[in-house]
Amino acid sequence: MPTLLELQLQLRGAMLGEITPELVAEIETVGLPAKARLRIYRNHLVTTLSAALESTFPVVCRLVDRRFFAYAAHEYLRQHPPQSRCLAEYGAGLADFLSGFEPCKDLPYLADVARFEWALNTAAAVRETSPLEIEALAAIPPERAALLKIALQPSVSYFASGWPIDAIWLANQQKEVRPVDLASGGTTVEMRRADEGFSWQRLAPGIFAFRRALAEGLALGTAAATAAADPAFDLAAALDRLFAERLVVGLGAC
Amino acid sequence: MIVTEPPRLSNRDVGIGLRLPHVAEIAAARPDLGFIEVHAENYMAETATLDRLLELRRDYPVSVHGVALSLGSAGELDRVHLGRFKALIERVEPMLVSEHLAWSAIGGAYLNDLLPLPYTEESLEVFCRHVGEAQETLGRRLLIENPSSYLRFRHSTIPETEFLTETASRTGCGILCDVNNIYVSATNFRFDPITYLDSLPTTTIGEIHLAGHQAAENVDILIDDHGSRVAPPVWELYAVALKRFGPVPTLIEWDTNLPALDVLLDEVRHAQQLANRHPYAHAA
Repeated sequence: MPTLLELQLQLRGAMLGEITPELVAEIETVGLPAKARLRIYRNHLVTTLSAALESTFPVVCRLVDRRFFAYAAHEYLRQHPPQSRCLAEYGAGLADFLSGFEPCKDLPYLADVARFEWALNTAAAVRETSPLEIEALAAIPPERAALLKIALQPSVSYFASGWPIDAIWLANQQKEVRPVDLASGGTTVEMRRADEGFSWQRLAPGIFAFRRALAEGLALGTAAATAAADPAFDLAAALDRLFAERLVVGLGAC
Repeated sequence: MIVTEPPRLSNRDVGIGLRLPHVAEIAAARPDLGFIEVHAENYMAETATLDRLLELRRDYPVSVHGVALSLGSAGELDRVHLGRFKALIERVEPMLVSEHLAWSAIGGAYLNDLLPLPYTEESLEVFCRHVGEAQETLGRRLLIENPSSYLRFRHSTIPETEFLTETASRTGCGILCDVNNIYVSATNFRFDPITYLDSLPTTTIGEIHLAGHQAAENVDILIDDHGSRVAPPVWELYAVALKRFGPVPTLIEWDTNLPALDVLLDEVRHAQQLANRHPYAHAA
């Protein structure tokens, strides 16, 4: 007789891959063979996890069609079963998986679409806190300004891709998908939580570099320097907009 | 046995499982419901979905139904998950908290199904330890739901009702009697569902679940898919359960192939009518 742990590890194997004769021998078979009984549980596992992934990655699913998505999801879940017990948190590794998934090699932007959707999903699950007003800057001595660290809303993240992922995402929100010019270039996007889920906006390269540097914990002076490659970048205007968009939640020295 | 003045099942006693597509309509129409029940794991992040639940909580009692504590897993409970469960309970202040006689995680993998346990002394010891630990951490009495089964282990030695009864006795937990699960398992394993009901300790029943099931394709098995109306024989079994257990809070579960909210409300009304036709009888 197997211990509970041994039996559960065998069942885990059966849910994700192969059904062993040792496990079959432990199961009553009156009326229906053990493998058919195990498949009832396995079907439920595969169906519900695929549905969870489809719900988090609807655009990826649409781009490859549902049948192929179910196939890819099945391969993914066998190799990477969920660790979190909240299904909305399943799929952190799907983008990396897709980037190495041979049948998807003709869709080089697909993994970035998955990263984009995952970032939206993540943003939607983090509550924002009370923002600071720009007047808070007045308390910072000018000689300390360059070393100032600006904490942004905890839900905010920054996404960059060499493909027009935001245009692909937008096109796939419509019933009739209009073609997207893949040669139109990359994108730089900010995502954050919103009342009904998430929101995102495309940012100019300078603003994007500036905000991403702040989000990474770099000081104001360093963040401004990373944005300087964009001739349109204006630090004072960038700071105004940062506060106006209710993004700043803390100011601190290095 | 005498029939006393029946404690009638009022509107306050029948609820529905809350599913996302119905949230806006419930928020707008505020239908007459005893309570709403949510799957704990769908509300553990700071999402807009949680905000909607907290808004509904102002008007409805909430029952929190866990599906992933995996109380039957060998080894230790996932304390991080248990902590998130506790945080949710502290925010929602539910009327009931329930989980399952099942397991779903092992070796760091969450298998997202209510997998069957072998009913052995070892399992009973593990399960009771975990129920006790969960109750202590959560500061709440748990109701443990009987599973629907599609397989049984040869080395099980304890009948399921005895396993539940013993768990309740050792841990002080209650039992969530899922009438549809009893019917599904009884059909799949050819046992008498009424004998099963009669084997459950009357005073520990804290909630009843009702749901739809369907026949599997090509095999003689019922699948508990929560995707249709409650089947007539399950309503009949519900009447027996009410007679035996009294008017306990009853939930209409519907998780797949979601219908219009009105269909669920119609099932709620049916549960109430049925309950009021079958007054609680108990020994004098």
